[in-house]
Amino acid sequence: MGNADLRQLAALSEVDWDEVAGSVVAVDAHNWLYRYLTTTVKWTNDAVYTTAAGEEVANLVGVVQGLPKFFEHDLTPVFVFDGGVTELKDDEVAARREQREQAAERLAAAEERGDAVEAARLEARTQRLTDVILETTRDLLAHLDVPVVDAPAEGEAQAAYMARRGDVDYAGSEDYDALLFGAPYTLRQLTSEGRPELMDLDATFDRHDISWEGLIDVAILCGTDFNPGVDGVGPKTALRAIADHGDLWAALDAEGWQVANADRVRNLFRDPPVTDDYAVDTDIDPDVAAARAYVTEQWEVEADEVERGFERIEDALVQTGLDRWT
Amino acid sequence: MFKAIVSASTLRDALDSVSVLVDECKVRLNEDGLSIRAVDPANVGMVDLSLDAAAFESYEADGGVIGVNLARLEDIAGMGNAGDLVHLELDEETRKLHIRIDGLSYTLALIDPDSIRQEPDIPDLDLPAEIVVEGNQLDRGITAADMVSDHIDLRVDEGAETFHIEAEGDTDDVDFEMGPGDLIHLEAGPADSLFSLDYLKDMNKAIPGDAEVTVELGEEFPVKLHYEFAEGLGQVTFMLAPRIQSE
Repeated sequence: MGNADLRQLAALSEVDWDEVAGSVVAVDAHNWLYRYLTTTVKWTNDAVYTTAAGEEVANLVGVVQGLPKFFEHDLTPVFVFDGGVTELKDDEVAARREQREQAAERLAAAEERGDAVEAARLEARTQRLTDVILETTRDLLAHLDVPVVDAPAEGEAQAAYMARRGDVDYAGSEDYDALLFGAPYTLRQLTSEGRPELMDLDATFDRHDISWEGLIDVAILCGTDFNPGVDGVGPKTALRAIADHGDLWAALDAEGWQVANADRVRNLFRDPPVTDDYAVDTDIDPDVAAARAYVTEQWEVEADEVERGFERIEDALVQTGLDRWT
Repeated sequence: MFKAIVSASTLRDALDSVSVLVDECKVRLNEDGLSIRAVDPANVGMVDLSLDAAAFESYEADGGVIGVNLARLEDIAGMGNAGDLVHLELDEETRKLHIRIDGLSYTLALIDPDSIRQEPDIPDLDLPAEIVVEGNQLDRGITAADMVSDHIDLRVDEGAETFHIEAEGDTDDVDFEMGPGDLIHLEAGPADSLFSLDYLKDMNKAIPGDAEVTVELGEEFPVKLHYEFAEGLGQVTFMLAPRIQSE
């Protein structure tokens, strides 16, 4: 995956919520949703989020739990949904599906053994973003008047593009790929307790005395979501190779390394499919009553499970801050 | 340099008004008295306090800033009777505050002021209505409102020259009306704003019952609550941001 390698390369710092208050963040919706789905599924009895017809909408519980964090810190989220999966990622997607299928088998076995811990862990991995999950998430966000953007392909690339254009202040993703897609500032840990982590693109360039193109080449050598890297090549070796030889091709040549699809991966990061066809209205005017009815009545989620989240959303959006008058 | 002697009750009154909003704060030790300005983490409630040097039995300071844990300092101040004198002395070297009160010595570790949230800018407000009311009356209205709701409407009826504290609950409503006879002063103007009772209740706790509270109010604007303590030598102004009114 290369995430650990990218973490070593990225210029990261914890920031106070105060420092980011009042800004707009383009959130990689699938990445964000996935995290809340896994925690919801792990810690909540599935009866809570399963309709009489057997549809599982744990995502609705997750969204209601996750949104208050933005509003309470005066951050406006714009959720960017993935479009069609790019061809290159097919392998990754297939691999994930295969992993999930394997996990599903092990899950059945664990349940049979009565191993609840193992079952809970595996259940998280078998969660997938079904059509129902994606559609109900969008509907709920619409009731809450939270802006949504449809990416032509990777949501993360689109979020980074919007940040680059200055239409939003930050990209929001746990994935370090946002850096390779050129997001000037990315907020991480938006889904965890505690303070967010800021990933700074320019500071990353400065730290390694490298260009954006160079950083992409380094990442390709280490391995990205879209390609396995060169065996045994980590960030240090990759940085040195790009510094010594100039670029990816020269480095591959000189060191006798091979990376499949390197040119396509490189193009994907440099020039990913993105769109200018979006409008972001950050003046959020939610209909909390309608959202509540949608979740608890239409999709039969137990009211107790989401009440606190809705209260937090309501409180955060109706309470003004004194900074409005300074 | 900071060395002062002050009555336990004055110190407590000062600390109470700040601790209802924040856990720690910066205290400015100015030559002519001390001052504190703090806002709660959500940026909803602010306090601006000054305590004149004349409110102290003795007072010497040269403009330093210290960071204090309010709960600790309140606990210590609570160890004395109202009339007891509290001796405060700052040890610049160790960054500790030595406190003596009725035979008890306490050394309080201070907090690095840089690690405390920045002091807020004071909102620029020009509020059209001003009501002066006794602390007890305000307390009565807030207590009644709290029985039915978690938010409270403060409103002036310009025609009737009355001040209203209102709350609408799911089932029950409260309206506490104060006319010219009940108020110390009223300058009527367009004023109607909704506030969180959580905050207002806490602020109200710090306001002495016999204090004259000046309430400045506008339409969907923050409210300012101003009162004096320590015989007029201490000044507190609370500011509270409104909730957005639905419909």
